Amino acid sequence: MNTLRVNGVTVARGAGPVIRDVSLELVPGRITALVGPNGAGKTSLLEAISGVLPIASGSVHIGPHDLTRQSRVGRFRRGLAHIEQGRAVFGGLTVLENLRLTARTGEQVDQVLALFPELAKRADSPAALLSGGEQQMVVLARAFAANPAFLLIDEMSLGLAPVVFTRLLPVVSRFAAEGAAILLVEQFTHLALGIAQDAVVVSSGRVTHQGPAPDLLASPATLHTAYLGESR
Amino acid sequence: MLQGALAGLAAGGLYAVLAVCLTLMSRLVRVVNFAQAATGMVGSYLAVWLVVHTGLPEWAATLGGILLGAGLSAGLGWIVCTWLAETDTGTRSAVTAAVLLLLISLSFILFGNKPQPFRPVLAGPAFQVGGVVVSQVTVATVGLAVLVALACRLLLGRTAVGVRLRALSERPTTAELLGIPAKPLSIAVWAGTGLVATLAISVVAPSQSNDPTSLAMLVVPASAAALLGGFRRLDLAVGGGLVLGVVEGAVAQSDHLSLVRYFLPLLFIVALLLWSQRKEVWDAAR
Ligand SMILES: Nc1ncnc2c1ncn2[C@@H]1O[C@H](COP(=O)(O)OP(=O)(O)OP(=O)(O)O)[C@@H](O)[C@H]1O
Ligand SMILES: [Mg+2]
Repeated sequence: MNTLRVNGVTVARGAGPVIRDVSLELVPGRITALVGPNGAGKTSLLEAISGVLPIASGSVHIGPHDLTRQSRVGRFRRGLAHIEQGRAVFGGLTVLENLRLTARTGEQVDQVLALFPELAKRADSPAALLSGGEQQMVVLARAFAANPAFLLIDEMSLGLAPVVFTRLLPVVSRFAAEGAAILLVEQFTHLALGIAQDAVVVSSGRVTHQGPAPDLLASPATLHTAYLGESR
Repeated sequence: MLQGALAGLAAGGLYAVLAVCLTLMSRLVRVVNFAQAATGMVGSYLAVWLVVHTGLPEWAATLGGILLGAGLSAGLGWIVCTWLAETDTGTRSAVTAAVLLLLISLSFILFGNKPQPFRPVLAGPAFQVGGVVVSQVTVATVGLAVLVALACRLLLGRTAVGVRLRALSERPTTAELLGIPAKPLSIAVWAGTGLVATLAISVVAPSQSNDPTSLAMLVVPASAAALLGGFRRLDLAVGGGLVLGVVEGAVAQSDHLSLVRYFLPLLFIVALLLWSQRKEVWDAAR
């Protein structure tokens, strides 16, 4: 089984580097929670992995394949999917059209719609007319329909009602259990750590803690110092 | 008056075709392509040059010209997609304005500043209404405009490629993250509009003032027509083009008004801009 390896990646943005020398590995079947304060560089790291931002130094590999200089489309074809922060729906497309961008068969569309019954009712309305939470569901469903081997999720909870969010977490877990490797960025640190196996804390662009998620969950003091940026 | 109006319909059909091309470019690749008519002009000139200098049969030369127009447009699209992929519509459009000037100068250098010895691709009357003759050229351009608009509507609304193009036009980065190949699709749009524009210009040029500037500046009335549809709606772009052509034709019949026709597209543009601003004024005044 291939893993996705991020090796000493540095990302520059505007004034200077916003991610410095970050390394991590995504393993099939496992969820890695990536947490850290606002502005730590979580989104920038995800964007560097998926090709939205260029990598200044370091590399990203899936198995033996070097993705560092590959296009976004090339990385997608290697099995990488990135759910962007904010609700990245195509508002002018209907819900179904959004899903069909990635689903290969009608069966796949039905499968993801089964995960989000709310969407089935709105299948033919333009995504722009959906509520914020419904739009976030479209984005999730669309990514699931691509059946990616590696899934980067940036702030899934954004705009979702807490009950919907807590219902979705098991869906993510199940997706991992079926063999996907997931990198989960989440403001609700405890919920993310609760379903993750591995944890990475970033602060000011650097990794300040890396280890099993349950350990970090059990040790609030460690989490606190890692957030404040003290590497240990 | 009716004769004039119907005579204007041929030009109107051409405006409509070009307006559809401009609308597609603006919607799908976020460019106001000022060089839209100029690429068609160069393609149609090549066809004339081929007939005169190589003795190629007319249809083959015209086909060659149309392919050159498509290729030229695709090349420009490649440049924009490669080096200006992340820039805004304004910058990209400015580049096409530069290309417009470049193509006009180039055609003066290559082909001279005289109207070209075009031989008509289509000639003669198609049918008569109430004693007034409708030419084949009119039927061809109006038909082409309607056909292209309908075909694009079907393509964008009903096909997988069309849905991908719409996704791409809305959020290019997100579309690429979902595996939609932005560059090939965008270049295909450039090539397609280049092809259609050159085809329309090749049909109409023989029966119009066809010096390089006149042909390249067809982009002005075409923009006026596209503006009616807000550079988004194909049906209004077609309607706008036809109406503009008919009004121009009618006005040209009157001795007093015939000069006005040259300013009609500009008047049309100013009027539409003022009309579209009315809401903003209300909002600001609240
Ligand atoms: N477009 C931009 N240009 C320049 N700098 C940027 C840009 N976007 C973000 N930054 C900077 O990059 C740093 C990291 O931002 P990033 O969005 O990756 O953080 P984040 O951890 O995702 O934060 P949040 O939790 O608020 O989403 C911040 O210091 C921010 O100021
Ligand atoms: Mg972020």
